[in-house]
Amino acid sequence: MSTHVGIGFSQNPNPSVAAQEAATRAKIQTQQPTIDLAIILNTIHYHPSQTLEALQEILEEAKIIGCTTAGIILSEAIEMRGVAVVAVKSDELHFGISHIPEILSQDLRQAGNLLARKAMNDFGMIPRQGFLFFMDGLLKNSDPLIKGLQEVFGTLFCMAGAGSCDDFHFKKTYQYCQDMFLTNGACGLLIGGSLNFVAASRHGFRPLGRPRIVDRSQGNIIKTIDGKKAYSLYEEFLGEEASALRSKTFSPMATLYPLGIFLDEEKEYLLRNAVDILSDGSIVCPGEIPEGKQIHIMIGSKDSLRAAAHDCALEIQASFKGNPPKLVIIFESLLRYKLLGRGAYQEIQMIKEILGEHTPIVGMHSFGEVSPFHAREPFKKTHVQHETIVIIALG
Amino acid sequence: MEELITTLKNPDVLTILGIGGILFFTVVAILIFFLLVKIDQVKDLRGAFQKMARSFDELDEQAKLIVKTDLELNKAQEELDRRLNGLNSLQKASRLISTTLDQDEIFRRLDQSLISELGFEKNLVLMLEKSNNLKCRIGSGFSQEEIAYILSHLEKESGLMLALREGHSFSSLSSPKQRKEKIIELFNVEHFILIPILTQAGMIGVVFVGNHSGASSMTEGDEELLSILANQIGQSLENAQLFEQVYRSRQELESKIQERTKQLAAALEELKKISKLKSEFVSAVSHELRTPLTSIKGYASILITGKVGDIPPEVRERLEKINKHSDNLVKLINDLLDISRIESGRAEMKFILYDVGSIAENVRDLLAPQMREKGIQFKTEIAAGLPEIMMDLSQIERVLINLMGNAIKFTPPQGTITFRAQRDKEMVVFSVTDTGIGIKEDEIPKLFNEFYRVENEINQKVKGTGLGLVLAKKIIEAHHGKIGVTSKLKEGTTFSFTLPLTQPLGRNDQ
Repeated sequence: MSTHVGIGFSQNPNPSVAAQEAATRAKIQTQQPTIDLAIILNTIHYHPSQTLEALQEILEEAKIIGCTTAGIILSEAIEMRGVAVVAVKSDELHFGISHIPEILSQDLRQAGNLLARKAMNDFGMIPRQGFLFFMDGLLKNSDPLIKGLQEVFGTLFCMAGAGSCDDFHFKKTYQYCQDMFLTNGACGLLIGGSLNFVAASRHGFRPLGRPRIVDRSQGNIIKTIDGKKAYSLYEEFLGEEASALRSKTFSPMATLYPLGIFLDEEKEYLLRNAVDILSDGSIVCPGEIPEGKQIHIMIGSKDSLRAAAHDCALEIQASFKGNPPKLVIIFESLLRYKLLGRGAYQEIQMIKEILGEHTPIVGMHSFGEVSPFHAREPFKKTHVQHETIVIIALG
Repeated sequence: MEELITTLKNPDVLTILGIGGILFFTVVAILIFFLLVKIDQVKDLRGAFQKMARSFDELDEQAKLIVKTDLELNKAQEELDRRLNGLNSLQKASRLISTTLDQDEIFRRLDQSLISELGFEKNLVLMLEKSNNLKCRIGSGFSQEEIAYILSHLEKESGLMLALREGHSFSSLSSPKQRKEKIIELFNVEHFILIPILTQAGMIGVVFVGNHSGASSMTEGDEELLSILANQIGQSLENAQLFEQVYRSRQELESKIQERTKQLAAALEELKKISKLKSEFVSAVSHELRTPLTSIKGYASILITGKVGDIPPEVRERLEKINKHSDNLVKLINDLLDISRIESGRAEMKFILYDVGSIAENVRDLLAPQMREKGIQFKTEIAAGLPEIMMDLSQIERVLINLMGNAIKFTPPQGTITFRAQRDKEMVVFSVTDTGIGIKEDEIPKLFNEFYRVENEINQKVKGTGLGLVLAKKIIEAHHGKIGVTSKLKEGTTFSFTLPLTQPLGRNDQ
């Protein structure tokens, strides 16, 4: 029983050539004549219409999923331009892929439900280990999609996902499934077999000031906090700078000071970015905010962010009892990357040191991450998160 | 009523009532006490609650202070990061473009660098063509249609183009509102820097970088960065242009030299042919002349001896002149024949190892009477330890006799002639220095021309062929040496020649 993993990367300016190069390099690394699964991550400079055909030529019958990203995390560097291909050949793993187009115009819960069921087609009695998925990062509230998935897989099934993105353009992102590329879609990969699929996440932000109570909210919109319009929380802390949150595009303020909802059962704060401020002073978040929850303005530093990634990697290491995983996939929020700046790669180096210098590592900068907080504690709930690093390991 | 009064008058009842009253008051007192205690506790709790509320408020105030400080730190850090990243990228870009002198390669490397290093979403490098139209050399983040639109509209923006030509740059950070809006509209970006590429000849192009997303505005650091990059591009392109010009000139020059070399080679070949013909002609004529001359000289000699009868003194005198001129003519013809033989490679050099000091002795013995006659002092300065060298002894003696003969001829009585020999690497340098009348500077280059004779009083009196030095030169060259002369009028002349220590194998025949 064996699993072979190869990671190929190319920055050739020609999208078709870049795809061919990355796929060929990944395939060569596996040293196998055929590939079972390929995960494609590419920056927005490479349009899928020019890459997918070339990828299929090289990867032949492999199941393909992937998405566009703002940056690609590799063992040696973080690249803001390029195509990465992860090729897997395994006789101890089973893969099921699925996709749902145009989820923005659908009932997200049903879409999630369907995405899970499609992935389970032909899976039979093979033990399911985890579900990896990519969704459009422009989704305003992805919680219903997760709920839909959980209705099929169960709330305690390990799921990890990432929102595809187009850097800070917020215009159009792509998701790939086999020979199709979707926009406003989602694609998923159900992994089964004898290897473990483990995911853990951390953010490293800490609460600031006294706790406040969300006394009125509606899905992903916070109406009032402590009896005042929600936006006044930011006004109190940021003064005039808070007006930046009202700009058309995503504000750095939202990145620096996200909102944190305390989850009693997790003993952890779930982060939510303020992606928009409505005219009535309501704050729009990309995930749900339940009424009655304690809420804080959160703050993080480069050190606290790196320490969180360190803890996350240690948790993955502990869940594998010190053995190096066969593949590590990292979904790191694009916003974290912006915060870490020049020190972003140090974080990856640290993860490498913990999980093994020769462990294949690949990742993407995402807009919205999905994962349970803790890897070691079984049966933990999956959450839609933001400004978070998710480490997924297979081994 | 009466019953009640009767009952109250009962002492037992009174006792019970008394005890009850006491109990009641006691309970009330206790309750009052506890109430007072509780009131105190509530007061304390209220105080604690107020304290806690104050602490929370203080916590909030502190948090706000932290946020403000953090915001400032973040801004500073972001700017610092951008500058460092920018400098790093600039250094890489500069290194890339300054290590090539090929203009196309500069743009190719710049393209790569702009895209992968500097991190702007949209990049354009537009260059002015000879027709003064802008041409896109690098374009990323724009479609071909967008670039065509920008090119056609930018050229029409005469005010903007003029300002760029004058060296002004523009950015979304610091440009006047109207101009900023125009550029934003034209390039369809939110943040931008537009900067001219300047050289000594003026503007040769423009660099544009832009970002579309709100999170990537331009900073002063970006402006400085682009300004340095534009300068670097200008310099690199200027260097490349200069190199191209120099390269082209060199190519032209080389091709001219090659052409001229060919012409010269052809002329030389022609000259060699002519020279050969001349040598053959001289050789043939000399041979033809020598036979009758020998007869003339023979007959003149016989007549002088008187064997064919007495001759009057006038006739004898004329016959002796015939004999003397015949001798001169024979010498001239012999010299011509020797030159011709050496030139044509028909002369055979008989190389032997010979001691330098002995040559000097031989020549001195030969010319001692003439030197004595003029009272000339002869000196030899031969460096110690000179090895024997390969030479054709008779030919080298011929050269030395010629040089020494000239020295004796042109050195006034009581003068000095010095013969020197010294080693210089793999050669031996011989020289003959006299304290004679010297040679005019303009005549020195002509000394080794055939039949050339220096114009001076002595030459007018003493006959000569003008072939001696020519022959000496040919002999030295046949030994793979060189001959030269230095002279100062009225001070003296030095003739020098070199001979290699050894002669190449197989070079015995000349």
